[in-house]
Amino acid sequence: MKKVAIIAANGGLFDAYKVFNIATAAAATDAEVGIFFTFEGLNLIHKEGHKNLEVPAGKEHFQEGFKKANVPPIDELLGMAQEMGVKLIACQMTMDVMSLEKEHFVEGIDVGGAATFLNFASDADVTLTF
Amino acid sequence: MEVTVNKVLDAKGLACPMPIVKTKKQMTELEPGQVIEVQATDKGSTADIKAWAESTGNQYLGTVEEEGTLKHYLRKATPEEEKAETKHPHVTSLDELSSKVDGDEKFTILDVREPAEFAFGHIPGAKNIPLGELEQRFEELDQNGEIHVICRTGNRSDLAAQKLTEKGFNNVKNVVPGMKEWSGKTNNNQ
Repeated sequence: MKKVAIIAANGGLFDAYKVFNIATAAAATDAEVGIFFTFEGLNLIHKEGHKNLEVPAGKEHFQEGFKKANVPPIDELLGMAQEMGVKLIACQMTMDVMSLEKEHFVEGIDVGGAATFLNFASDADVTLTF
Repeated sequence: MEVTVNKVLDAKGLACPMPIVKTKKQMTELEPGQVIEVQATDKGSTADIKAWAESTGNQYLGTVEEEGTLKHYLRKATPEEEKAETKHPHVTSLDELSSKVDGDEKFTILDVREPAEFAFGHIPGAKNIPLGELEQRFEELDQNGEIHVICRTGNRSDLAAQKLTEKGFNNVKNVVPGMKEWSGKTNNNQ
């Protein structure tokens, strides 16, 4: 089985699509997928935050394009990723810095440090950073 | 083009990666050997479905575009069928079959793949009876004639050749490996 390790370090709407599109496509291709959410990347799995991610300034007109192309909303993609067994790991250190607790995030996530992710990524076939 | 399938999946109007995600879900519910038609409007889906099939070991049969809808055809493959079975004692090679096709001798090419596989490319003149229907339809064949049985890899055709022998056919040859390697002329149903 192929293994895909992803680092999500940014928290905008575009970043979320990059992360979750690749993750769900990989999971649908029978890969074992793990995403490590760090710094602003934590937005993508924040309980409320992931439903209201920001579009980069000046790119607001893309909102219409997303609708027109019938791109699913992030919470739907996130739910799908979880349903397909994508492992979501929130970075403990960033959580401490931002005073966030596990309860602030969607259900079913893991919390870990850099070593947790490195352990997962050590034998990954594909490693991506967004 | 009419293609017989076991399942139709409507993924029209959906953007990447949804057609792949939906296909994956649907595919797990299919039996090995069954064929699915995935309808999509996402222009990237042709390349994606092909790549997905390659990564997951499934068989991509082809795509037809009809009135702005892309219809992708996939067959759920099994790892076992990748190796040609040779339990049937009489086998023949693709080269031998190829020169026989060019000759004048009368014989039957029996293609035992699924109709959708057959539709996307078969040897001109071949008769299609899927392996699963052979039990009911073997009487359509001439019991005394010479029959070359072919599938994709030589696995299903081996089973078919055994079955025909069981039914009293005595001039049956299994063509190995099969259409996967066939480089001669093909027809399709389009």
